[in-house]
Amino acid sequence: MIDAAHELVDALRARRPQDTFRIIDAHAHAGPYALFFIPRNSAKEMVAVMDRCGVRTALFSTNLGIQLDATAGNDAAARIVSEHPERLRGYFVVNPWQDPDAEIARRQHDPRFVGIKIHPDLHHYPLTGPRYAGVWEFAESTGRPVLTHTWTGSEYDDLGQVAEVADRHPLANILAGHAGVLRESVDTAIAIAQRFPRVHLEICGSHGHGALIARMVGEVGAGQVVYGSDFPFIDMRAALGRVVFAGLGAAEAELVLGGNMVKLVPGLAGS
Amino acid sequence: MTASLFDVNCQLGRLPWGEIQVGSIDALLADMDRFGVDRALVSHTLSWRHDPATGNQQVVRELREHRHDGRLRACWVALPESCAELSPPDEFTREAIAAGVAAVRVYPADHGFDLDGPDFAGYAAACAVAGLPLVVDLGETSWQALDGLAHDHPELAVVVCEVGYRVLRRAAPVLERRPNVHIDLSDLSTHEGPEWLCARFGPDRLVFGTGAPRRDAAEAVARLFWSDLDDAAVARIGHENLDALLTRIPEVVR
Repeated sequence: MIDAAHELVDALRARRPQDTFRIIDAHAHAGPYALFFIPRNSAKEMVAVMDRCGVRTALFSTNLGIQLDATAGNDAAARIVSEHPERLRGYFVVNPWQDPDAEIARRQHDPRFVGIKIHPDLHHYPLTGPRYAGVWEFAESTGRPVLTHTWTGSEYDDLGQVAEVADRHPLANILAGHAGVLRESVDTAIAIAQRFPRVHLEICGSHGHGALIARMVGEVGAGQVVYGSDFPFIDMRAALGRVVFAGLGAAEAELVLGGNMVKLVPGLAGS
Repeated sequence: MTASLFDVNCQLGRLPWGEIQVGSIDALLADMDRFGVDRALVSHTLSWRHDPATGNQQVVRELREHRHDGRLRACWVALPESCAELSPPDEFTREAIAAGVAAVRVYPADHGFDLDGPDFAGYAAACAVAGLPLVVDLGETSWQALDGLAHDHPELAVVVCEVGYRVLRRAAPVLERRPNVHIDLSDLSTHEGPEWLCARFGPDRLVFGTGAPRRDAAEAVARLFWSDLDDAAVARIGHENLDALLTRIPEVVR
């Protein structure tokens, strides 16, 4: 049996890319962001970091798409995927204020996109609101994932709202981005994932810790915990390092680092 | 070759909230072994969340009474002179050096004072004279205050910890103006942040730090070892830069 922790830690300490697992980063972005400077934010430079760490595929939405203009950002994402089809796949952003149904119709059959990204906090609109109806219809009819930003205590995307939409839409595969972010909400995140088998806890964020990842895997099961980094919004190596040292077994690490996303998006199997 | 790691940013003691609890020297050493960290500067949470004078004595006592094979050195916590809660600045640094202390940490926000300006100036000056680096989390202060402090005390080495991912527009000018300001790797979470800073300022302005155990040390280790920096730069950041900052502390025969 592969000792996952040993193999990953060895690769890191040797400063070589890990090649034990096919890693899929389920939460990435691309491009500049107005609120702060992101160096090296181009797709080419993102792939360079992926190569260095041993990340095979990143699933991303553009910062333009989440921050300002969903249509222009999704167009940019499509172009990026066309330039790096083996390494990058998109989520298309649905902004509830920018004709969401038209955006879904425009992108839903485009193979460059694996699912939908929504960001209720940035768009000042609650996850539970009716303007997202088309998102949940898409999710339930296709089985493809919806990655939503979550933030504990937010009026727009608190974990309680994730539970509410999961209850209303039991066939929707929901990636709870950041799993609520705050450490204090780990009990809530675990309880919701235990109650709703199609809610996946995505682990990136500024306040994460390997011990919390290990607890999620132990109490929810590795099948509902997903590695994402938020790069280049945040350093990829923060979340990846937490998984590397979290002490997961090989089978658990395989699921968290990419296996779960392959189950949600079968097209990733050959990537 | 794996670079040796010397952590500028560690704590002993309990925390009042959260699942990640800080603990004993034995627990810290076990974690350091797990992450491949050889040495660390440690302050005590009693100095942060209870009383600096008590915590400063506690960290020295714990390091003296527990075996750690020289891997740990104490970091004291300072306050402004306002209420005379600690020994006067020059006496404070003499006591610190005599106790084997290697750096001084401050919590201006939590402890309610301004890092720049006259209130803390006496301790800043004393630390500069003694060669004791000053360690502070960015969340406890501001780049504006750090700029002022570093300007007023050019011989004081300042290490800014846990800077986050939204800081380069403010951090870069301060690093440009103040060669005595350094940043540690704990939560230096700008995408490719160490690489960008090294390309602009060279590798000597970064020091290895984890923020452990509050912050997962895995972040800083992965950030350094999976960087595109060459092995020489990784060694500078991993331990050589912090070792160099500590060389000005006088040797004490005890």
